[in-house]
Amino acid sequence: MTTLLQPPAAPVLEQDTARPARRLPKLWRILGYLTLGVAAVAVLLPFYWMVMSSLKTNNEVFAIPVRWITTDPVWSNYADIWRKSEMTTWLGNTVFLSAVVTLLQVFTGSFAAYGFSKVRFPGRDVLFLAYIGTLAVPWQSYMVPQFVMMTKLQLTDTLWSIVALQAFGALGVFMMKQFYETIPDELIDAARIDGMSEFGIYRRVMLPLSKPALASLTLITLVTTWNDYMGPLLYLRSPDLWTVQLGLKSFISQYNAEYALIMTGSVLSVLPIVVIFLAGQRYFVEGVATTGLKG
Amino acid sequence: MKRSLAAVTAVLLAVAGCSSGGDSEESGPVTLTLAGWSLATTPEFQKLADGFRAAHPDVTVELKEYDATNYDTQMVADLAAGKAPDIYVQKNLKNFYTYQNGKQLLDVSDVAGKLGKGVGGLSAYQVDGKTYAIPYRQDSWVLFYNKKLFDQAGVKHPDGSWTWDDYAAAAKDLTPKLKAAGSKALGTYQHVWQSTSQGFALAQTAGADLSSGDFGFLKPYYERSLDLQAAGAQVSFGDATTNSLTYQAQFGKQQAAMMMMGTWYIATLLSQQAKGDADAFEWGIAPAPQLTKATTGTSATPVTFADPTGLGVNPKISERKTAAAKDFLAYAAGLDAAKALAGIGVTPADSSAVADTIFALKGAPTDELSKFTFATHDTKPENPVAKSTAPLQNILKDLHTAVLSGSKPIDVAITEAQDRAKNEVLSK
Amino acid sequence: MTTMPANRRRWRNTAVGLGFLLPNFAGFVILTLVPVVLLFYYAFTEWNMFGGATFNGLDNFRRMAGDSSFWTALRNTLYYSAFHIPLTLAVSLGLALLLNRKLRGVGFFRTVAFFPYITSIVAIAQIWNMLFSPGFGPVNEVLRWIGVDSPPGWTTSADWSMPAVIVVGTWREMGYYMLLFLAALQTIPAQLHEAARVDGANAWQRFRAVTLPGLRPTTFFITVLLTIGSFKVFDLILVMTDGGPGQSTLVLSQYIYKKGFQENEFGYASAVSIVLFAICFLVTVIQFVVNKRRSE
Repeated sequence: MTTLLQPPAAPVLEQDTARPARRLPKLWRILGYLTLGVAAVAVLLPFYWMVMSSLKTNNEVFAIPVRWITTDPVWSNYADIWRKSEMTTWLGNTVFLSAVVTLLQVFTGSFAAYGFSKVRFPGRDVLFLAYIGTLAVPWQSYMVPQFVMMTKLQLTDTLWSIVALQAFGALGVFMMKQFYETIPDELIDAARIDGMSEFGIYRRVMLPLSKPALASLTLITLVTTWNDYMGPLLYLRSPDLWTVQLGLKSFISQYNAEYALIMTGSVLSVLPIVVIFLAGQRYFVEGVATTGLKG
Repeated sequence: MKRSLAAVTAVLLAVAGCSSGGDSEESGPVTLTLAGWSLATTPEFQKLADGFRAAHPDVTVELKEYDATNYDTQMVADLAAGKAPDIYVQKNLKNFYTYQNGKQLLDVSDVAGKLGKGVGGLSAYQVDGKTYAIPYRQDSWVLFYNKKLFDQAGVKHPDGSWTWDDYAAAAKDLTPKLKAAGSKALGTYQHVWQSTSQGFALAQTAGADLSSGDFGFLKPYYERSLDLQAAGAQVSFGDATTNSLTYQAQFGKQQAAMMMMGTWYIATLLSQQAKGDADAFEWGIAPAPQLTKATTGTSATPVTFADPTGLGVNPKISERKTAAAKDFLAYAAGLDAAKALAGIGVTPADSSAVADTIFALKGAPTDELSKFTFATHDTKPENPVAKSTAPLQNILKDLHTAVLSGSKPIDVAITEAQDRAKNEVLSK
Repeated sequence: MTTMPANRRRWRNTAVGLGFLLPNFAGFVILTLVPVVLLFYYAFTEWNMFGGATFNGLDNFRRMAGDSSFWTALRNTLYYSAFHIPLTLAVSLGLALLLNRKLRGVGFFRTVAFFPYITSIVAIAQIWNMLFSPGFGPVNEVLRWIGVDSPPGWTTSADWSMPAVIVVGTWREMGYYMLLFLAALQTIPAQLHEAARVDGANAWQRFRAVTLPGLRPTTFFITVLLTIGSFKVFDLILVMTDGGPGQSTLVLSQYIYKKGFQENEFGYASAVSIVLFAICFLVTVIQFVVNKRRSE
């Protein structure tokens, strides 16, 4: 029984860790490093620019030629922004939203995905098609009927409107279903023969096996909710409900001349999610980390 | 889990409480809601609310904040869902048609009938003899110039006699002289909006009409801008868009010696100079340059443009509130409100009556030309009210970005815009 | 007699299946499916969103056929998709293959490659527009330094604005898809590679025979996501170029937004959405069919 419940890939992975990966020929290694270097610069350059600009004075931001290094960082920008904006409120709201939405999306999404991939019932494929279908409809075309619906539920101008908006997305279902498909049906059937309930199978077999997929779904939902602009814009009116993105946008229009402060705000809006990502990186990239390929 | 459940219940209760509490009182004090935007930096709404309250102690006006750039998107959604405020601002005249045609504005002709003669911009809100909004602000586009930079370069200040050619010559004259004087400023700054070219062209060219589908009248205005860009006398359109340049910083931080802008900028500039967000320097306003000599000089009335900003009433408002809302509209267009608005640098609909108030503000210019400019102008609407205005303006916006970025020659762009206007808008 | 238990099992399965779907489905139906279905009705009406919709048959679709801006938007959407999809697939797969090797610094790179994806679109637009600034942006500064005399105007030129947007789109998403590929690469048993090597297959043959088939479910998933995402691209364009200069980066989603919210023609906007939906759906179904045939 226990061996049956083991994912088939696991033993292979264990062997993989034990045996060192083959080294590449020298020329290829150099080429590889070169590519990595170029890619890393390309990816990091805009961030470097953003952080640097946030430490400059307004006039320095657009100095010609570009100053890549500030000799005299203006740290006070980071003190000023807390004084000049409601950053604390915005961050609080965004953290709350991200947490609730992610929890709900991961739970309901993986739950529904189990129904779609491992329980056979008539009409299943049609329902799934409806899910995928709505992915293909641009949001801005149905956001008005949706807004009316949300008003009838008396959710507009509350944080719950954003929760309702984001938590039941089709993407999570699609993603989890796609992952569950890779888990052999035999495993589930064996569990059923063993007398496990469907919920038991979901909880005790599927969930533990799908940790990497759950982790990526968590990350994606978190990032989407954190960075969502149009949703909060349409649904939240009261300033004490604003999210970081809304706040940042209004901050930009209010302090239009303060390029450096705008950059400071941008850095702060990205920072929490970077920290979360770095802290949780081991889990997000679990499949990768377990194979001992760390650099 | 328990806590979030409690929170949900609390929210539901609060929502239920709000919705039942509002209409239950039959008499007594009235609370009106008023839409506004960027409340922290736009004090005019609070000013109106406070001023009205002083005269009508039993009516409270509560402000509801909207996003400045996405005001209409949010308002359309709120109106469709039936939860818009009682009174809302017609922020962009371009979209007035949408609200009026969609029956989202109460007929306020009775308020309009009682207004003083000096209130400008009223006709923009009239459809088939009925009035659907009351202007409380009527800005107009003028030329802002930096006296300090002009003196530094040794160039003569604008004197109200300028045509566009004089303006261009001055910009080209200023640029090298400013450089020689050790300043980084350019001669002029043209902001990225399409109105900086098209608003003037439409207002000043005889016979120009958006809905005619003939856009040839735009050509001289674009040729001049392109020429100034090429000469380096103004920042190129591409650099302005990619760097999200703001006009407040360009003029307020002395990056340019001149700039065409609406009179709303007076209030912003005064407050930014007072707070130190803008440099301290002496400035003035002059009439917008004219197409021909005929309308120049202080004995003539210079032609310029700008849309009025009006207040409309939500037709879903309860009858009990209607009278109070109409009182508010009448107040906002009246002399008391005009003075209150002028006190914070805002150009009220009745502008001639308050020029003294504005120019008495600390930091405001004191020269005669500035006062003349503020009080005397023939201000045409930028967006004549019609069904075709919004789609035509979208087509002309594409023309604007294509031409100023140098992607298309002006003649080609005009021909294309005319074809699109005929094909997509006017043939319907 | 024998059908009875089977029948009962079917009922039981349906109940169980729906039970699993319910928490998500309830929210999904009310907040997404119903508005989307309404859209199919609005597409055949003239509707200004405040009043009732008036049925006008196929008028919206006839109008679309003669609407040059619609065709421009469609062309631009296809342009974006045609380059963005393969480019992102290639770059993210390439990076994943590279990072699956034993090289120094891959851990660091795995982390930073994801940064663009987690940054807000507002900040991205601000930064890239500055970098792309034709006059004194760092990109052109570098190009001039390496000897390019007249570097392109990027987002301020009708010819280069779409490439600029494609570059930023790929830059933003590659890290995310790279991680998905990387995770999938880890599930390919190393013995398969070993066996192929013993059989004398070279690197390219091993890639074709072992790696690609092993990645198929992931590649499929990513392609579907990328396709839908590319056809629906909206916010990136909105904040970077707003469709300009001229109409050079006008895409369908944005056209829908303009027609709906700026010109208040929600009926017509709905009709355009239906077309966009149909295209997305058709391409996705083709991908499903091809995927099924290949995996059989």
